[in-house]
Amino acid sequence: MTNNIEISVNSAACYKNNNIIFKDINILLNNREILVVTGPNGCGKTTLIQSICGIQNLESGHISLNKVNIQHQECNYLENILYIGHKNSLNDDLTVLENLDYLCAFDSSADSKDTKLIRKSMEYFNISKYEDYMVSQLSEGNKRRVALARLFLTKKKIWLLDEPLNNLDDETTKVLIKLFIRHQDNQGLIILSSHFDLSKELNNVKIFKMENQSD
Amino acid sequence: MIKSIVKTELAIYFRNLNSIFLPLIFFFLILSVFPLILGTDKILLGKIIPGIIWITVILTTLLSSNNFFRDDFKNGVIETYLTSDASIELVLFFRIVSCWVFTCLPVIIFIPLVSLLFEISFQNSAIILLTLILGTPVLISIGIFGSALTLGLAKNNILTPVIIIPFYIPVLIFSASAIEAVSIGLPFTMQIYILLALLVLVLPIMPYLLKYTLELSINN
Repeated sequence: MTNNIEISVNSAACYKNNNIIFKDINILLNNREILVVTGPNGCGKTTLIQSICGIQNLESGHISLNKVNIQHQECNYLENILYIGHKNSLNDDLTVLENLDYLCAFDSSADSKDTKLIRKSMEYFNISKYEDYMVSQLSEGNKRRVALARLFLTKKKIWLLDEPLNNLDDETTKVLIKLFIRHQDNQGLIILSSHFDLSKELNNVKIFKMENQSD
Repeated sequence: MIKSIVKTELAIYFRNLNSIFLPLIFFFLILSVFPLILGTDKILLGKIIPGIIWITVILTTLLSSNNFFRDDFKNGVIETYLTSDASIELVLFFRIVSCWVFTCLPVIIFIPLVSLLFEISFQNSAIILLTLILGTPVLISIGIFGSALTLGLAKNNILTPVIIIPFYIPVLIFSASAIEAVSIGLPFTMQIYILLALLVLVLPIMPYLLKYTLELSINN
């Protein structure tokens, strides 16, 4: 597999119910880079990240990975991305361990059989003591940590994170940033939306500012 | 991967025993309402009871498939499905099957008891059982399809049945016709073959259709 990853968004525009969400978005991103999407509430950060995931259709423009449109079959785009939305994608009726095990089944790059590794990821995010808790019993911050533990397990190169720092305390934020740096060292690429300026803690950060369109 | 999915499905259903027993209780409640309204005239009940059982089963399947994807949508699991490189069609297939096993199969298992209660003849009871076994997987898949279709809408409680009941009609026509044929002593193999054909047509296509529908619902 080539180490080179290049994501480009070319003059992308998106409409919902005839309302413009964003238009003329151009992004070029290489590996080891982190893109932080910022902007006021409702400016389309989530929609942009979902478009880069491929689950939100664009009105015009296109998104490509290594110059191949992500909608094309030969792009194998889904094999390269990991998306964690602002919903945590956790099942309330499962324990923390079961949830992570289940989510690993959807990530071909993770060793889903390896419970040891899952335990290690929980240790990393300091949630080991909640292993057998139902997710419905956890606080929002802890749910977020469980969702983010997937980042520790995956070997995918492109991370798409929607507001990953929401509900996190300072300590977990530091842990997460450490994980980001490790991912950068592994030639990874991160696109995330956030209200925080991460350029002090991380290298190779690009800030992408979005504006409210519907005025 | 398959092991993990099956394990998870089992865990979710067994932790929510409500979702297994409530459809069953609902089934018996609705069944017991009919004699209260229609009286205990044995000849009348004997004539219409197969139809009543089928109507009750339809209501039960509607109830259990109506909000099938709602929690997953709320929790963002659907987004994980669609951005994953695993075979989502397979996951959806297992989810359809487990929904059938845990909501329809208990009802089907209790059909012999219902037959005893309403004094249905063995022949009639057997054909009801057979049509239910062949028909309910189709009804459940169509119901789940309806719930995927109305996922993006805020209030969809009544809309889903309104959309899907017309699609129930082929199954209902041939089930009713098979039961009718048996009760007047005519051959019924044609109807059973058609029900079987509907089953093997709908079940393999449904996961692909569901995936496409979920993509549309996310994309609203």
